[in-house]
Amino acid sequence: MLFKNDAKARAQHQAVRENAGWYRWTHDLVKVTGKDSTAFLDWLFVNTVGKAAVGRSKYTTMLNEDGKIIDDTIVMHMGEDTWWVSTLYAPQFIKWADAHKGSYDVAYEDITKQMDMYSVQGPNAGKVLNALLAQPVDELKRFQVADNKIGGIAVQIHRSGFTGENGYEIYCAIADTAAVEAAIREAAAKFDAPELTILEVYVRSLPVEKGFALRQDMYLLTPFECGLDWSVHFDKDFVGKDALLKAKEEGPKYKLVGLEYLAESYEDIAQREIVYSYGVPCGFVRAAIYGYTVDKNIGFAVIDAKHAVIGEKVTVGQNDSPAVITEKSWL
Amino acid sequence: MPLNDKLPSYKGVETVWGKLIPEKEAYEYAVRQIAAFCANLFQVMRILEPDYEKRTSAICEISYMMNMSASGEEYMNEFFDEWNIPEFCKKDAWLGAIFGDSGDEYEDMAGRVIQFTHDRVEKELDTCPWDIVGSELCNMTTAMFTANFDLSSPNGENEVCLNMCEARGCGDRHCRVVAERRDVYGQPKQGWMDHMQQPAAPIHDTPRERGVRDGQIIRNDRYSNAFGEEKSFEWAYRWCMEKGWVWCVAFPIIAIRDMAESEEEFERIFKIVFSTAGKNAFIEPFAVEGLRSWLGVPHEIGKNDPRLMGGYIKAVLDTQLVPCELERFTKDEVVIKVDTETFNGRFPMAPIDELTTGYETLWHNMVKTMVSTEWSCWFEGKDDEYMYIHVGRKIDKRMI
Repeated sequence: MLFKNDAKARAQHQAVRENAGWYRWTHDLVKVTGKDSTAFLDWLFVNTVGKAAVGRSKYTTMLNEDGKIIDDTIVMHMGEDTWWVSTLYAPQFIKWADAHKGSYDVAYEDITKQMDMYSVQGPNAGKVLNALLAQPVDELKRFQVADNKIGGIAVQIHRSGFTGENGYEIYCAIADTAAVEAAIREAAAKFDAPELTILEVYVRSLPVEKGFALRQDMYLLTPFECGLDWSVHFDKDFVGKDALLKAKEEGPKYKLVGLEYLAESYEDIAQREIVYSYGVPCGFVRAAIYGYTVDKNIGFAVIDAKHAVIGEKVTVGQNDSPAVITEKSWL
Repeated sequence: MPLNDKLPSYKGVETVWGKLIPEKEAYEYAVRQIAAFCANLFQVMRILEPDYEKRTSAICEISYMMNMSASGEEYMNEFFDEWNIPEFCKKDAWLGAIFGDSGDEYEDMAGRVIQFTHDRVEKELDTCPWDIVGSELCNMTTAMFTANFDLSSPNGENEVCLNMCEARGCGDRHCRVVAERRDVYGQPKQGWMDHMQQPAAPIHDTPRERGVRDGQIIRNDRYSNAFGEEKSFEWAYRWCMEKGWVWCVAFPIIAIRDMAESEEEFERIFKIVFSTAGKNAFIEPFAVEGLRSWLGVPHEIGKNDPRLMGGYIKAVLDTQLVPCELERFTKDEVVIKVDTETFNGRFPMAPIDELTTGYETLWHNMVKTMVSTEWSCWFEGKDDEYMYIHVGRKIDKRMI
């Protein structure tokens, strides 16, 4: 939990918003190879990842046969017939890939334990990277991934992140992680960019303010219920397409919305706390956190579509904590 | 709109007289029953070992050892997989907290993780069904979590300072466990009696109005951890009826037995404590009235009828998820058949034979005040596949 008066959390949060901050956060990573790798990934994902050229990446969700989200990932095109899938659920992804491999000429491997990833985020992240890397990152576009070097160590730089600020992810071999971390620490210090040590700052407080949800927030909703219409490409086949088409016709049953908690703090609200409209259950909480830029207790909730009205007052949990339904982005 | 075809179905325990105990009430009741058994056991301990520090250290030591041996690397890795705990989580600093938080919620200890960082974890509870047991148990839980932390320590050293700086068992409004990395916070290595100190960094005290009455599995039908993984109420109920017995009864009883000079002495004191608890359970006449209402006992079942005790035992076993069958249920006798291994081995890897002795003694004395002194309760076939719990008339000139 994060609280308004937590000076350390506030400082780490604001460093990313106003300057830069860095942290180690190795997502699970699955390497997918083979001549059918592109077609296979396009079968698994709703977005057309095949449109990403080598050196580019795409965000996409993955659905079950019912058209419901079971994962959301960044898919990076690392080379001809070589992809990296960045997920928080590699073991589950592998099982799902096994179930849908069919006759695709494809191989996949969980390389999480072989790779490490550091993230540098914030308006001055580029300056930190330029002080760190052999080649400047000025020309690197959003969702572009490129080889680079830290000293003599080979790294991949992905311009991306989960804070809503300009940011970069640095991938390195696990054997090089200590040297890479030391180099990042040294470069970041030159710009007074701190290491973020509070998980909830970089996984929840920063992303939620910008409307960035985790897979767990969207789990078993449709992309339409999460406002991810733009990522669904019905002009190709993918797992769950028929069910999703039907769901689109019928309209959303639920909506992932923002929730602003109006009490001073939210200690009584867990991740599945029940949301009530005039005393009647109408949904459940998915996230509750303090946002230090907006200076509010905010979060996400899954609400019955008919009750998901922006501005609608609701209560949450056993203590009838007052809250209001909002858009799911505050900045 | 046409009428509904039938009433909706809900889960619950049906008493012998058809009264329905909703599943959440059944679960809460069963959890408190485990805590009550534990409270009796700890009275045995206090008689056997009058020195507070000696007995507390002894149960801390045994629970630490048992948790170390029960929760090996493979077990903990499976735990990581089960909860989808990301690779970046530092096992040495955080595992105990993740483990402890889920266990709390399965056992209806309602609260929250206040802080969860690389270097510090703070967990706060508003309720604890075990708050009647006493502070030795509060101490003991810190030893169990120390094992979880130590298990994952990369250098085999205790790196975490763990303090239960508040405990409902001590009269505090909250239970509060704080784990702080020793190297970061300059904390000393702790002995068993050092775990109830104040932490190095300030705590966050949740105001009373933001407290919660029930654990997540009661109020939200499921437990959801920080990584979004969930366990259903049904799953947690089953988990608690198995493992809820292990940490608070099976582990400490090993040390408590050793406090006695002989098996006979342990058993003598054990029976005296459980007898007293049984006799006192229904000494108040309104307690019997409350029981009758809870079980839905009809007026035809009079004050001197063994079926009241039989119906009670059946409800206790049903809420504890112990399969059992009524063999006799008349105004002259009640017989309940139960699988002996299941009765004692709720968690099969850690059977507790004292459950038979404890409940037989408890119920034999309980029936004296719940019904009348004409009635007794005894178990037959304790060494057989099935055990038969009898409520019947018995005369014993040396009855205690």
